[in-house]
Parts: sequence; structure tokens; C-alpha cells
Amino acid sequence: MNIRSQVSMVFHLDKCIGCHTCSIACKNVWTDRKGAEYMWWNNVETKPGTGYPTKWEDQDKYKGGWETNGNGKLNIKSTGRAKIIPNIFHNPHMPSMDDYYEPWTYDYQNLFNAKEGADQPTAEPISLIDGQKIDVQAGPNWDDDLGGSPIYAENDPNLKGLTEQQRMQLSSVERLVFFYLPRICNHCLNPCCVASCPSGAIYKRGEDGIVLIDQQRCRAWRSCVAACPYKKTYFNWFTGKSEKCILCYPRLETGQAPACFHSCVGRIRYLGVLLYDADRLEEVAKLPDDQLVEGQRSLILNPHDPAVIAAAKKAGISDGVIDSAQKSPVYRFVMEWKIALPPHVEYRTLPMLFYVPPMSPVQASKSDDTIHHDTEDLFHDIDSARVPMKFLANLFGAGHEGQVRYALAKQKAVRWHRRAETVGDVSRELADRMLQEANCTREEAEAIYKLTALCTFEDRFVIPPMHREQAIEMMKEPHEHREEAGFGFVGGLRRGL
Amino acid sequence: MAAENQHPQPGNALHSAGGATASRICPLKGVMAVVAILWLLPATGQAQDSPEFFRQNCMNCHTIGGGRLTGPDLKDVTQRKDREWLINFMMNPKAVIDSGDPYALKILEESRNVPMPTLPGMTRERSENLLDLIEAESKLPQSQFEGLKISNQPFTDADRALGRELFLGTRRLEAGGAACINCHSMHDLGPLGGGRLGPDLTNVYERLKGRQSLSAWLGAPATETMQPIFKRHPISGDEIHALVAYFDASAGETPAQPTSNQIAFLLMGLIGATAAVFGFDAIWKRRFRAVRQPLVAESIAHEHAENVAHHQAESTAEH
Repeated sequence: MNIRSQVSMVFHLDKCIGCHTCSIACKNVWTDRKGAEYMWWNNVETKPGTGYPTKWEDQDKYKGGWETNGNGKLNIKSTGRAKIIPNIFHNPHMPSMDDYYEPWTYDYQNLFNAKEGADQPTAEPISLIDGQKIDVQAGPNWDDDLGGSPIYAENDPNLKGLTEQQRMQLSSVERLVFFYLPRICNHCLNPCCVASCPSGAIYKRGEDGIVLIDQQRCRAWRSCVAACPYKKTYFNWFTGKSEKCILCYPRLETGQAPACFHSCVGRIRYLGVLLYDADRLEEVAKLPDDQLVEGQRSLILNPHDPAVIAAAKKAGISDGVIDSAQKSPVYRFVMEWKIALPPHVEYRTLPMLFYVPPMSPVQASKSDDTIHHDTEDLFHDIDSARVPMKFLANLFGAGHEGQVRYALAKQKAVRWHRRAETVGDVSRELADRMLQEANCTREEAEAIYKLTALCTFEDRFVIPPMHREQAIEMMKEPHEHREEAGFGFVGGLRRGL
Repeated sequence: MAAENQHPQPGNALHSAGGATASRICPLKGVMAVVAILWLLPATGQAQDSPEFFRQNCMNCHTIGGGRLTGPDLKDVTQRKDREWLINFMMNPKAVIDSGDPYALKILEESRNVPMPTLPGMTRERSENLLDLIEAESKLPQSQFEGLKISNQPFTDADRALGRELFLGTRRLEAGGAACINCHSMHDLGPLGGGRLGPDLTNVYERLKGRQSLSAWLGAPATETMQPIFKRHPISGDEIHALVAYFDASAGETPAQPTSNQIAFLLMGLIGATAAVFGFDAIWKRRFRAVRQPLVAESIAHEHAENVAHHQAESTAEH
């Protein structure tokens, strides 16, 4: 057993209101720079929709992630020993600027400086790339702006396997449905970007598993851009280096939640440490699609198990981190309640950002051309939800419904339970039966309810002590490091000749 | 305590008192022996080398008792001229010719004004050795340096065809030497011609004054480029016969024009490059280009088609 710790995340989609506050917080802190205009380390997508960059989930086009071949080996789809030579001058399968969007601003000065005329002056959009006026045709949250459009919503790759009728219903009156999918880097256990980098510039930080790009060593190959199936590494055209979400590690190191977590209005984000067994990564990444979710769970170790604690201590994980892992809200969502699922686990990167799948709105019933919202079936059956089960299964279960169904059934049972507790229009027996069917106890339902609805800042963000001093000590003399870090001179101050 | 710690280690003992005399004398003897061997080696080596040296450097122009080629027959040369003059001439023929020596000028004229080249490594000692060799060989009834037995048979079409094959390298030289086309060109080699390192050989038959001297040249090519190759992989008598037949046949032709070769080469390069570009396009036909724009275009086209179908259905219903 090779125990490591990983800062992991849960996004509770049932609470996301799609306000994009997280995106703005991230933008303001990290990517409001020349060359990074088009980058959204955090973005929020409307589902069904094609996302950002357009159709990033379509790996037939983008060739992201891993694939297992016949003889049981795990290969990067986008590159490899044989593919790298013929493609050395041009990395194929790269999203073009149009597939992201051409960043723009507005000609605000015209509002003040326009010559007097018959019409009010307007602030026309101007490209941030060439400074010319542009006709805006795409944006980072275009699905949101054009929600349900026949162009974008109907081309969502997750609609694969849905019947024609189900597709029609998604955009029909009184059936129209969408939900939001906020995305950041998943800080995967088996990161494809790291594996693909020819310069060895990308690494997974030993002490907390944060995946980072060394800006000194990056040589602009852009293999990571092609390899990451979530398209969460971006190429900065100004510096000539690739960049990605750094999980706000400078904030984490000082005990603060990342900017997008901190600013989340819907309080949908949870952060905590998980302990996992690094020896079994390859074995799990090779499992067949339908076993991947369960396989990834089997990697994560119980931080309360004395054997695990002993092994973790032996592996050099500090008491503070183990203590933090025991309080981790992520462990409860993913392992204890099993209601948070990794996105697109079929890419085999073992993402460590988990999503609680969303419940759909209460459904109206239609009789005699009138639409009734007061239905007997208060919390509808999960199979008659507006978002088809198959769609969620494509997103969170590699196309297999089992784990998604389990997560949704448990959430529904918690709702029935709370309805019985607080409003009382539902019988206790019915609620208990629901709980039993969902493999849930009253205590568990209560805990889920509390961490979902009444969670405080400290409940949501259990940030482990980072012990940077220990990590630095392994690499170099801490005094030497102190000279080189921080504001001012980078690379150490030299005196004399 | 300190003194005890400073006991010499066993290994160091040899270098101190006891072993001093022995170790000083032994290397000295060894060095002397090595020097002596090195001193003797080149001398003996050179004496033994002389026949080989003659074969490689002299035989393409000279024979001993085989008649003259480009240069005179060297049989009994030491009786024709005194040894000192010969050694001087061998070491630096150009200087002797330039000095206006009448005998040297006479030889030059006999050799159709082809001067004897100054050979690298021709020391006084080597010259002495060579003269000794020539003297000794002259006394024999038949010298090993009588020269290649060049067949006198007339050239046939088969010989010429074989010669051309050997030149082109479609048939390999027996001893494994490089085919002529690698470095030489001929008048009939098509648009790309042959190699450019050596001269065009179309008129080599005339240039080297006929069959005998051309054959002798091929027997032991003496230029800087050819010698290292053909020293180890000599051309056999039959092959020389065939090649000379081929050169004989081409004697009257005009050599290929290098400029037309260059234009042909350029054209073929352009055609090749164009073909390669189209080839790449075919290979990577399904490469990634864009996602969003095709998606939008396709959806709009689809919608348009549906609208048209709808209108058609309506108009047929009205009728």
C-alpha cells in the first residue's frame, strides 16, 4: 500500500443556481492578464449544451483522455511514441480559438467621446486579440446565453443513446429543463496532461495532489491541451506557456478556501482531503466502463481505519492531514453516502472532483389542456424526471445508470424524510420505506440534509495543514528557498560581482 | 599514539626504502626495449612494404618488363641512370623537371607530357628500398610487376553490356568495390546523370590514351578518392575488360550537359514536393479542423432543409 493524500472536491449540482460568481472570482484573481483573456479556469456550463470549448466531451474529435487497447495497456489517445514524431510540428486535435471563443471587450470610450449625432452612441464589441470590431459569435457561457437553442443544446454529446422522443421533450413547453455544471480542473489521480507532457513540465504535487504546470519548464508543446479530456489546460499565447487551475494553492497553504469555493453563492462547493492507495491506480484505470466508479471508490481509504492511519503515518503523512481527512466532507459524500460521482469517469483519468447529480424540478401534470402543478406525486419518481436518467448516466456513470440511480434515489429519500419531519403531509411510514429502498437510515438522511442545507464555512471547507515547510525541506534548504520566493527578486539576490 | 597511527600502509611500502632500486631499473629496461622495437619496426616494415607500395602507387603507370604504360618500363632502370639522380627524381619529380634537366624533359615528352606525381611519404629511405626492389625484380626472368595481363581479345557487344551493368552497379563488382556511377557520370545515364564527385568518364578512353593504360589505371586506381576504396576491393581482369569495352564504345560521344541535369533534377524535385503535399492532405484528410463552426453550419442547414420541406408540404396540401 502506497498511501497519498489528495485535496478533493464535491460540487453539489442540486444547489447550483448558475450565477457564474465562481468564474468571475477566478477570472479576477488569476486570468485577467494578457494572453489569458480566453481562459476560464473555472467555468459554468448549462446542460444540455455543448460547453466550453464547444463539445469538449466529444472525444472522437478532441481525442482527450486514456484508452485501453486489446492487450490491456493504457494509452493516451492524443499522442504516443509513434504519433509524436509525424505530428511534431503540429499537435493535432487542438481546439481552435473559435472553439473556445474570441475574447472581446467593448468600446466604452465611444460613450464619452462620440461626436454629436442623431443617435445615442453605443459601445461596440472589440476583439481583445486584434483590436478590431467583431461580430460576437461565441462566448464562454454561450449555452447559458442561448439556453435550449436547437444549435447548442441539441448537440450535447451526453444526449447519445436518448430516444427521439426524449430529445424532443427536453426543449418542449412545460418539459424544458436545464441544469448547471460548474467545472474546474479535476486534479485527477491519473492525469493525462501530466503523462502527455514531453518536457516533463506538469507534475502532481506530492503532498496534496494538486496538478501544476512548471512555467519555467513548459516548452509550449501543448500536448496537455490535446490530452486533457476536460480541456482544462490552456495555452497562453502571450507567454508561450500552458496554464491551468492551480486550486488556489497559495490560498490553501494559508488555510483559505480557493477563490471559486469561497465566493460560491449557492454554497455548492465542498473541499477536503482523501487518502488513497497510489499502488492500485493503473489497475483501476484499466477496469471496464461499468466498474470504473466503484473501482475509483475502492482506491479511497477509510481514514478512521487504524491500519490505514498507521500506514499513512509510515508514508510520512502528518497527523494534521489524517485528522483533516477524518473530517473531510468529501469523504462523506463520496464514500459514506455514495451520492457524489466523478464526471466522465470513462476518460480514465480518475478525476478527484465529484458531482452530486441534480434533482429535476417538480413536474407538472397535464389534463384537459390545463396544466396542474399540484400533483399527488410530490417528489416525482426519478425515472420520470425531466432530465432523462440516460443523460445523467452519460455524464456521471460512463453511460451506466446504476450509480446515478442510487445517488438520486437517496437524495429523493432525504426529501421525503424531511417533508415527513417538517411539514408532516407525508406519512412517516412512507418516508421510512423510501429511505429503506434508497439504502439510507434516518441518521444518514439527517446528516445529508445538514451538510447539504445547513452547512457552515467550516463544514464545507476542511483544509488540511499544508506543511509547505516540510515539502520544501525535501527539495532544498528552506533558507535558500526563502531567498527565492515571495515578492521582489526571483531567483535569489546576488551581491558583489 | 600519533606515531603509531602513521605506520605506512602495506601498499606504500614498495615505494619507500626496500623496493627502490629494483623498481627504478626495471622500467628503464622496459622503456629501452620498447624504443628499440619502435625504432626497428618502421625500417623492417618499410622494406617488407615495398612490393605493396609499388603495386599501389607505381603500377598504374609503370611495369617492370611489361613495356611502357603512361610512364616508362622500369626494368634495369638503375643501369640506365645513376642511383642518386633516380632518388632525387622519385622524391620530387616536379622540381627536377622544373630545373630543366634534359633527361627528365625527355621522359616527360615520352610520357605525352603527363608528369610523374609527387607521392606523399616518398622518403629517401623508401626510394632506396624501391630501387633495390626494382633491381632485384629486373634480374628475374618474369617480374611480379610485369603488369596486368590485359586480354587482347576484341570487344564484343556482350562485353560492352556487362561493362555498362558494372558501371551502373546493377551487377556488383566481384570484390565488392563501389560502382562507378556513385562518383562518375556518362553520356547515356538519363536525366539525373551519375555522381559528380569524379569527372565525367565519357571520353576517358581517349584521355588516358587507349586500352592499355586505361586498363592499367583500373588495375590500381591511384587518386586520393579511388585508392582507399579499390586498394581493398580490386577490380578483376574480366571486369576491367568489360569496363574498358564500355568506355571504348563511348569514346566518340559528347559528355552529358550538367545544366540540363540540374533542370531535370529541379523539375523532379518540384513534382515530388507537390505530390508529397497532396499525399499529406490525403493521409490527414480526417484531421481535426474545427468543431463549433461546422456544428453551427450543419444545424442551420438542417433547419433550412426542414423549413423547405415544411413549405413544400403546405403548398401541395393547398393544391
